[in-house]
Amino acid sequence: MNEDHSHPHGDHEHPHPPEMPADSGSQALTEALRSSFNIVRLVMFVLVVVFFVHGIFQVKPNERAIILHFGKPRGEGTQALLGPGLHWSYPYPIDEVEKVSVTGVQKVESTVGWYATTREQELAGTEPPAGNTLNPALDGYTITADANIIHVRSTLTYHVVDPVQYVFGFVAASNIVQDALNNAIVYASANFKVDDILTKDKAGFQAAIEKRAIELLDKENVGVAVDQCDVQTTWPRQQNVKTAFAAVLSAQLDRDRLLQDASTYTNQVLTAAVASSNSIVNLAEAQRVQYVSDISSRATNFLSILPWYRTNANLFVQQRFNETMGRVLTNLQEKIYVPERLDGKTRELRLLLNSEPPKPSTATTNQ
Amino acid sequence: MKRNSLIVIVGAILVIIFAFWLCAFQVRTTEVAVVTTFGKATHPITEPGLKFKWPPPIQRVYRFDQRIQSSEFENKFREDLTADNNPLLTSVYIGWRISQPDVFLQRFPNGISEAEPQLAKLVSSTKSAVVGHHPLSDFVSANEGGSKFSAIEDEILAAVDEKLTNNNYGLEIKFLRFKKIGLPEATTEKVFARMTSERNVLISRAQNEGEAAAKNIRSDAELRASKILSAAQGEALRIQGQGEAEASKYLGVFQQEPQLASFLFRLDALQDSLKEKSTLIFDQQTGPFTLFGSDVMTNLLSK
Repeated sequence: MNEDHSHPHGDHEHPHPPEMPADSGSQALTEALRSSFNIVRLVMFVLVVVFFVHGIFQVKPNERAIILHFGKPRGEGTQALLGPGLHWSYPYPIDEVEKVSVTGVQKVESTVGWYATTREQELAGTEPPAGNTLNPALDGYTITADANIIHVRSTLTYHVVDPVQYVFGFVAASNIVQDALNNAIVYASANFKVDDILTKDKAGFQAAIEKRAIELLDKENVGVAVDQCDVQTTWPRQQNVKTAFAAVLSAQLDRDRLLQDASTYTNQVLTAAVASSNSIVNLAEAQRVQYVSDISSRATNFLSILPWYRTNANLFVQQRFNETMGRVLTNLQEKIYVPERLDGKTRELRLLLNSEPPKPSTATTNQ
Repeated sequence: MKRNSLIVIVGAILVIIFAFWLCAFQVRTTEVAVVTTFGKATHPITEPGLKFKWPPPIQRVYRFDQRIQSSEFENKFREDLTADNNPLLTSVYIGWRISQPDVFLQRFPNGISEAEPQLAKLVSSTKSAVVGHHPLSDFVSANEGGSKFSAIEDEILAAVDEKLTNNNYGLEIKFLRFKKIGLPEATTEKVFARMTSERNVLISRAQNEGEAAAKNIRSDAELRASKILSAAQGEALRIQGQGEAEASKYLGVFQQEPQLASFLFRLDALQDSLKEKSTLIFDQQTGPFTLFGSDVMTNLLSK
């Protein structure tokens, strides 16, 4: 390399030698200068390469980058964002590269609204002793719409959607998110009654917190999207209050059970009523059909015997009557014949009636 | 010659770099700056980019963070009286930023750390005044339409903003919201007592309600059941009537010989009524027992 480079230089410098001293010392100096100049050129070349290579930077899949050219973002708004891959920028101080994580889900917890406790205590499942009052400096709580005191806390997960705004717009954007969540808790509590928050409308309360937080973050243009908002609520831990709240719940459970029983009873009674009403109607229907067909067959029968009757009414009546009496008497359990007294006087007959008719014997005769 | 020209070039480059270093400066996108000429703020810069100035001591540049600051100076509760004389603890958080760097520099030469306490004081006093204009029910309310929470926040914000503009702070306040609302410690005990008695009312109401409602439900069920039954009986009567109406068309048949019909019906009735467990007492006038005492047989035999 150096040999090749020396040739053109040699040609170039040929016109000069007459001006230079021709002694060997100065020639050696010239040689030395020439080679050091070459080294300088090599160093410069390397520097240029380093300059360009150094400007290359990588953006990972979950990141976006922004190049600040003399402090000003290249491009407007979200167009300034560089996606994943290799990019190039001038070195500092001309350009500056800011990388922002976008897919990473971030999490904030509310700092107001919950009583003083520590993570260790929570993990152990224990609570600090509750006094009769709440110290505003230590214990967090919120005030409900009906001026009750309750404890609320919430965890909000979000991700960055507008990194330019999130990074360059705020000194501490996550604090803004946290305070928006705090405000949402206080705000939602002030608009909900204690029973709605704790029992009746838990979901509505949670939705109100989430809605308010999203609204505030949009208004303040923080550049984040809310993924999830978990809310935890509890009544005060003060002994009397706690017992009273629990007692209300159990009283309401009792009431619900009573109502449940009553509605079960209603079902039973109504089902029975419908069943017997059906049977009444069906029976009536059956009787009607039977009655009509009975009459109809009597009518047919009547028509068929009418000619016979007209032929000899007296004989017919006698015959029918006696025949029927014969049939009736066969079925009768007891028949008592009382002949007329010979003297023509009325005979007196006394009957001793059993209040209860003897059963077994009649049963057999009836068959 | 060649060495000299090289030296000249290198020297020139160095001079240019030095001049650049003295005269050029960057304003980052997160910053605002102000250039002072002989100590007097002359050029506020609110746009980022590469800027130039005369070298010191003629001109100097001061930079400030222009991002929204969310200072935590309002972390402590402050007690104020509401319009209806209830003590109320509130704390707000605010987002503010430097909007006029030249004005800001004049007012706070030591920067943000100097501005914050003053801003805190201003916010605090403004908040007290606004809270004093509202009754407690404006903060928490179960009424239709909810509390005037947001309206109060906006009111404080507007008042603070006005003071900032009037007093030349060079700041603008972007948002102001409540972070905490509480009651003095002594009051909480009273609140707990009231809550407990409210709960007791609810307990007895639940008990009474349960019994009364259950009773109502039961009697209602019985009423409905009896209505169903009486409707069914009515229906049964109607069916019976229908049956009789259908039967009446056979009356014409019996009409041909009413005496016979009546006789036949009576025979059937007799037969039906004496079906079982009956005791019948006869005299000899009733057929066929006329055979016993009378002279029917003798009459027949004599023929």
